[in-house]
Parts: sequence; structure tokens; C-alpha cells
Amino acid sequence: MPAASGKRFKPSKYVPVSAAAIFLVGATTLFFAFTCPGLSLYVSPIIPAYNAVVFLFVLANFSMATFMDPGIFPRAEEDEDKEDDFRAPLYKTVEIKGIQVRMKWCATCRFYRPPRCSHCSVCDNCVEEFDHHCPWVNNCIGRRNYRYFFLFLLSLTTHIMGVFGFGLLYVLYQVEELSGVRMAVTMVVMCVAGLFFIPVAGLTGFHVVLVARGRTTNEQVTGKFRGGVNPFTNGCCKNVSRVLCSSPAPRYLGRPKAEQTVLVRPPFLRPEVSDGQITVKIMDNGIQTELKRTKSKGSLEVTESQSADAEPPPPPKPDLSRYTGLRTHLTLATTEDSGLLGKDSPPTPTMYKYRPGYSSSSSSAALPHSTSAKLSRVNSLKEPNSICDSGHKPSYRSEPSLEPESFRSPTFGKSFHFDPLSSGSRSSSLKSAQGTGFETGHLQSIRSEGTTSTSYKSLVNQTRNGSLSYDSLLTPSDSPDFESVQAGPEPEPPVGYTSPFLSARIAQQRETDLHGRFASAASPKHAVPREPSPVRYDNLSRHIVASIQEREKLLQQTPAPGQEEDAGLADSGIQSTPGSSNAPRTSSSSDDSKRSPLGKNPLTRPALPRFGKPEPPPALRVRSLGSPDQPAAPHLGKSMSYSSQKTETEEVALQPLLAPKDEVQMRTAYSKSNGQPKSLGSAPPGPGPVPLSSPTRGGVKKVSGVGGTTYEISV
Amino acid sequence: LCPQVHSLQELRRSASLATKVFVQRDYSDGTTCQFQTKFPPELESRIERQLFEETVKTLNGFYAEAEKIGGSSYLEGCLACATAYFIFLCMETHYEKVLKKISKYIQDQNEKIYAPRGLLLTDPLERGMRVVSFGQVQIEISIYEDRCSSGSSSSGSSSSSSGGGGGGAGQ
Repeated sequence: MPAASGKRFKPSKYVPVSAAAIFLVGATTLFFAFTCPGLSLYVSPIIPAYNAVVFLFVLANFSMATFMDPGIFPRAEEDEDKEDDFRAPLYKTVEIKGIQVRMKWCATCRFYRPPRCSHCSVCDNCVEEFDHHCPWVNNCIGRRNYRYFFLFLLSLTTHIMGVFGFGLLYVLYQVEELSGVRMAVTMVVMCVAGLFFIPVAGLTGFHVVLVARGRTTNEQVTGKFRGGVNPFTNGCCKNVSRVLCSSPAPRYLGRPKAEQTVLVRPPFLRPEVSDGQITVKIMDNGIQTELKRTKSKGSLEVTESQSADAEPPPPPKPDLSRYTGLRTHLTLATTEDSGLLGKDSPPTPTMYKYRPGYSSSSSSAALPHSTSAKLSRVNSLKEPNSICDSGHKPSYRSEPSLEPESFRSPTFGKSFHFDPLSSGSRSSSLKSAQGTGFETGHLQSIRSEGTTSTSYKSLVNQTRNGSLSYDSLLTPSDSPDFESVQAGPEPEPPVGYTSPFLSARIAQQRETDLHGRFASAASPKHAVPREPSPVRYDNLSRHIVASIQEREKLLQQTPAPGQEEDAGLADSGIQSTPGSSNAPRTSSSSDDSKRSPLGKNPLTRPALPRFGKPEPPPALRVRSLGSPDQPAAPHLGKSMSYSSQKTETEEVALQPLLAPKDEVQMRTAYSKSNGQPKSLGSAPPGPGPVPLSSPTRGGVKKVSGVGGTTYEISV
Repeated sequence: LCPQVHSLQELRRSASLATKVFVQRDYSDGTTCQFQTKFPPELESRIERQLFEETVKTLNGFYAEAEKIGGSSYLEGCLACATAYFIFLCMETHYEKVLKKISKYIQDQNEKIYAPRGLLLTDPLERGMRVVSFGQVQIEISIYEDRCSSGSSSSGSSSSSSGGGGGGAGQ
């Protein structure tokens, strides 16, 4: 049996296997010693021979099942997992024979578990084609030793039947005189055999059915195929032959390391590279990263709705830029709060669903970087992504400290300036922070992305300073969810390890959304020039909070703010209850901000009322993370119209997921609009803007958020 | 260990490992071992598409042969049963034989095709120092950046795509 990895010696786990061995060997020995001589003399010598052969078979299979490596995957090494770890979603879907199958990220082993692979909590290993962990052999049953386990069961059943049968023969026909000892022993052996026969035969029958159906115990017990189709079956005969007749698979652990004998020396040959190729390549870089982020979001979509992306993502692009970009998410995530892990993993949808329609789209693996492929893959992000992949990329990174960044920036013109160091203090290096300035800048660019309420058990607004603070307020109780969905005994990965990638996922998602927004920002739909001053997003969030607080005060002063807001929000479908002063306020604030740059655009922000959940607001009205408003979904077109404002353009492509971020954006926009003299149209009443704008220039404001946290905002 | 260190040092003198590209498994046909023949973009400037695809297809063919359920594997199983699996002490399984073929093929490919292009194909089964091999889940291709040629090429960038442009220029 494969050795437990560095665990303490637990004698208790050897009890079942010892008991099984003792019973098996002991009872059989007694049978051979006491029953067989009489039988061989008076009935036939073949009987002991037959029993000996069967017993040998039982022992051989028992030993193989016990001692053979079931197909353990070695832990993935740093090189391979670092991309996945930072930016990868929890699930990656793949299509198997037309059926969507989810591969889960194993935090312990650091890779996406292949289909049918599962992590054994007892052995603390991922096992290929994991069947179950058998305590009677003290070993996992997986791909390599399932055959031996199955044959062990069959042969043991046969052996028990034989022992019982011949013992019965011996007793009933009184083969020899009833000498007390032999008879007694035979009776005892028969009892033991009879006792064990029932469970063993039951288990054998169960596994016969499993083999015929091409399922593993794990799949059967967890009901994976209850409602769906099993993609791993090839028909009864082929399943049986695969189990019994296939060549034993090799083990992965403990192989001798092959020495690298091939020397790689320059000069290197290069294929002819045309200009077109180069251009494509550059675009691919942008697109691909975009794509990957989209991918993660797509995967997110998949886990939520079992739709979209079945195609495996393109190979991780191992460029530093992306890496550091991810670090950004990583660092902030770690810094802020590993306890910010917000979302529960959503109720796991049936893993296998028949989706014939997706096979065609997902099989377009030829050019994953192409825009068309990307478009076909992205469900809800189609428009902004398609626009932004060419337009936007991470050009908002202000620090060209990393070459990959710099080579991108010329491709995508960028006028956005971040203050890279504003959140620098918050980013602590998780794995090893590189280019903190860049990261934080990058980070800040994502701020408006919303929460994902899906299977990513990670933070919502980790990547932004301001949002961080009130997202932590939002989900104080969600923190312990992180490891809950993983196999129980999986050791809690170090915070710095697991939470970052989850948050990175979110961040990436947001980033994609951000790109969407920025892309729409880039599209020349508006004539309004951008703010000249660089945006300090960390302060902005505080501004937002402060402005919200001020608005609260304002609303308390003004008797019927709802009317103005309602007028403004004429076409916004969802209104919060009149009792919640927050929603209309926020909505109108965003309306204002929208109207001002756009010169009285009719308010078309149905997205706003998504904030309709009134929470008793000290100052922050934050949405609960777990509940994206449904009606907010189709806002792609509308969000495009707000491209005039940076923050508005960060408005969502994935609306339901971005609610809190949108809120932030609203407030940002609002505070910005407050900060700049703009006509507010049919905004809140005249005095409204004035006191509301004052906080943006005020001193220190104390804001208490949900959960009792208070923080000071220095404006 | 020593020869390995030497070879690494030689490698460092001449070329440094710039980045790694991973070719993922293709699960479209179930759990049979296949690799995606999709051409990774990082290799765009490094190797011809057709060579890469040919390599991957050949590897897929090898793995399909290894997992083939036919007369030989059946006989092997029967023989193993008959000898209470002691035969495995003496004889290699069919799968192992094919794996050896694969390993030889990969080495051959590396010598002839990949190393001259600054790439190194890693046996999926193998575990190396910086090679991630969790069984046959993926193929890893190591990309080496040309350091010793003109300074402009050795920007130190680990991005293969940017390095590709730089390397191409610098060569």
C-alpha cells in the first residue's frame, strides 16, 4: 500500500486489514488442516487442490489490491501550477463525448483533477479513476488496482462458497467419525464463512453491476449519473473487457527520473515568421489573456448554468505580465482577508449534462485566440469582450516595469492613469510580489468588477481597496466557506496559496469585466473628455463611502427624494422599495453622473436598481454578495452607453456578478461628478449636490459599515 | 547528480529556460490518453505548426496502442493470473513496453527537431526537476531563451511570445 505522506502512524487504520487477513488466512488454514484431510481421503483429493488454487488466487489478488499503487498522481510542481493557481477558476469544464464534465481544482495536489479522478482524504492523494478507499485492504482502489480488487472479490466469494460447501459436505455426510475436534473446527469455519459470505457477496454483486455499467463506486455513490448520461461507458462488453483485459497502467510515482541528455544550444532555428503572424501574435497576447479571463468567467458561467465553455482553455500562457497581474489579485486578496472568502460554492449542478449543442462550439480548438472563437465561447460577455480584446488589454497598467507589459502598451493606446502606489501598502507579497506598482495599478483597474456568486469560493471585491473594505463588511460570515467544499481531510492549504487563486479568479473575472468596460470606454461613443486628473481609486472608494453617507443625510433632510429619483429612474425597471432610501439615492447618484457627462442622456440604467436591497445603512449600502439581481442581466448594451465615464464603463458585462462593484462604480461616478461641477439635470434637488459633494473634499469621515466595522475616510 | 549539474551548467551557459508551455490532455474521448493537437500560441514563432502536430499525433498513437485492449493484453492478463502475478516481477507489461517506445521517440524528436529550435519536449510520464509530470496528464514543452546571442534578444523576458519577437530579432 502506498505510504501515507508523512502522517503519523495510526494503528487504527490497520485494524480492518489485519482483521480481514487474519480471518481469511486463519479460517482457510483451519479448513485445510481439519476438514480437508478427511475430505481428500473419503471424497476426493481434488477438493483440497481446488481449494488451494482458489485460495492462492484470493491471496494474490488481495495482495495486489493492498500493495499496488492505485494510480496516484504526483503533486504538481511549481512550474506547472503557478499559472493555474493564480488565475484559475475552481472548475474547468471539458467536454467528453458531448457531455460537459467538470474538472475541479485540487488545492492539495495543485492541478485540475482529470475526469474520474478524485482526492482520497485518507491517503491524501489524488487517484486516477478513483473508485473508493477500501479499509479492508487499507488502500485506495483506483485505475491500476481496480481489476485486482474486483478479482479479489470474485475469488473470495468463490472461496467462501467453496469452504462453506465442503465443510457442509463434511459435516452432513459425516465423512469420518464425529471426532469432536474436527467437527467442531469445521463448524466454526463454516460459521465464519457463512457470516462473511453475505457482505462479500453483496459487495461483489454491486461491483459486477458497476463494471457492467462502466461506473466507479464514487460515481455511483455520489449519484453523478443519476439524471444524466455516463460519458465513460463504452457498452457492457467493452467495459468488462476494459476492466479485466486491459494492460495494467503504469504508476506515476516513484519512477526513476530520466536524465536530460539532449542539450539545447543556440543558435536556434526559427520558422519563417510573417508580419501577419506577428501581428496576430500580439493580438493573441491581448486576446488570450482576455480570453483566459473570459475563460474563467465562462467557466464560472458553466458552473452556474452548465452552459458555455466546454473547450479546455488554451495552455497557460507563461508570461510574466499575466503572472504579475495575477499577483496583484493575489496580494490584495491575501492582504485583505482570507476570511473574505465570500461565496459558498453554489449548489453543485449535476456534473454531467448532455449538451450536444456545445460540442461544435467547444471543439473549435483550432484558434482559441481568435476573436470569433472567443466570441463563441463567451456567453454573457460577448459584446464587451469582443470590443475590448482588440481595444483594451491591460494597457491601464501604468508601470512598464515588466517587459511583457510594455510591449503590450504600444498596441493599445491608453490614457488612463492609475496611481500605482496608492494601494501598494496593502499588497503584501503572497508568493513573491513582483512589480507592486504595476500590480496595484492593475488591481485598481478591476475594481468595478462585481462579485461572482458562483462556485468560486472566494472574495468579491478583493482587488480594490475601497471595495475591499466594504466587501469584507458584506460577507463577514462567508469566510469559513473556503475549504468546506473540498474533500474533508484535505489539509487546509496555506492561506497564501489557496485563497489567492480563488480571489484571483474573481479578480480575473472582474478584470474581464473591466476590460469590457474599458473597451466600451475606448469606443468613441461620447465626446466628453476624460478627467484630466489621475484617479486615485483608493481614495475614491472612500469618497464614495463618504458621499453615500452624505447622501443619507441629505435624504433624511429632504422629505421625498423618491420622486426625483423616480423621475430620473424612469426606465429603470427595478426599484427598491420606497422605504429604502438608499436605492433611489444611489441610483440617482449614478444617474446624475451619467447624465452629466452624456448631456442629459435619458437614464437608462436599469442596472442601478439592482441595488434595491436596502440594508440598514450606516453609510454603506452594500448588496449581499450572494444575490445578484436577475433583472440586471441584460445590460450590455446599456452599459456601453456609459462609456463616457471611466467608472461607468467599468459597468458590468456580467451584471449579476458585479453588483457590489457596480455600486462602487455608481458611487465613484457620483463622487466624481460631485467633485466636478457638472450639471446634474433632474438630479436630486439643488442643495443635494452641494452637501453631497462636500465630503469629497472634507477631512476625515468616520464610516461604520455593516458588521460594525468602522473606518475613517480621509478625503 | 554530477553529470546532471554539468549539463545544466552547460545549458545555462548557452541557453536558459525561458518558459514552459503545457499541452493539455484531450478528454473528448473519455479517459483515454490523448493530447490536444491544438497549436499553442507561444510556439508560433518557434516551430512549424505541422511538426508540432505531427509529434503530438504520433504520441497519441502510441498511447492508444498502449491502452489497446486486444489479444495480447488479454493473454498477458491470463498469464498473470495463472502465475499469481509473479510474472510481473520478470516481465514488462505491454503498457510499459510502449512507454519505453514513447520515451525513445521523444528523445529522438528532441534531438532532431526541438532542441535545434530551442525547445525541449518532456515525456509526460517523467518527473524532472522543473518538469511537472503528473502522469500523462499533459505534455510540457520547455522553451529556452537564447541568452548568449545579441543582447537585444536576451531581454530576460519570460514571455515566450514577447521573447519570440525579441528572439527572432536577436537571432
